[in-house]
Amino acid sequence: MLFFRSEERVNEWCAGNGVPRRPIIGLAQLWQLAVAWYENRLSPDARRPQPEEIRRIFAAIGLQGPFWDPQTDQFG
Amino acid sequence: MDFDTQVKTAIYRWVAETTKVPTAAELAGALREATDEIRDAYRRLFGKRVLFLEPDGETIRMAPPFSGVETQHRVLVGGRLYFANCSWDALGIPAALHAEGEVFSRCEQTLEPIHLRITREGPDLEPVVAHFAVPAARWWADLVYT
Repeated sequence: MLFFRSEERVNEWCAGNGVPRRPIIGLAQLWQLAVAWYENRLSPDARRPQPEEIRRIFAAIGLQGPFWDPQTDQFG
Repeated sequence: MDFDTQVKTAIYRWVAETTKVPTAAELAGALREATDEIRDAYRRLFGKRVLFLEPDGETIRMAPPFSGVETQHRVLVGGRLYFANCSWDALGIPAALHAEGEVFSRCEQTLEPIHLRITREGPDLEPVVAHFAVPAARWWADLVYT
């Protein structure tokens, strides 16, 4: 997951590197994802979310579909 | 608390305090345990996808969101400079430490610097986006590229 200045820069980078253009998210959504995933990471009872929890976390911040499904074999 | 949880908690405390990932020998010294026991715990934590190890099977490459190696994503929190694995983890470090911070990274296309100030409420909303090149189902299979 890389930073870019804009969607246009993402498109240029994907075209230049032969990488499929995949979802782009802004900083507000990336922060929501960072908090949901990591805010308890240093506590002893923290653990990696299981697939159903991952789906709930992603859905809560608007990330839905095959790309965000941790168990799909269809990648959108 | 079981042994692996003690080891995991100690790893994260070590990284938070030093910015570096501990070797098995270093953590064994801190916990007064045998290095082989710590090394085995590292491998079990890798199996549980808590840590990502180098091919040698004992060196921590990632204790997400922290990176065990230098990357282009540098995160300054409380006067300490950490390395993050990716854009998500760059914001994840202040989130995990429950602290304000600054992210120093780059636009991958133009290589121009990106500087983000992170408050407890989140980043200042700069014109910056993150591209997720790898679908969620494949993240762990190639975590370094992801």
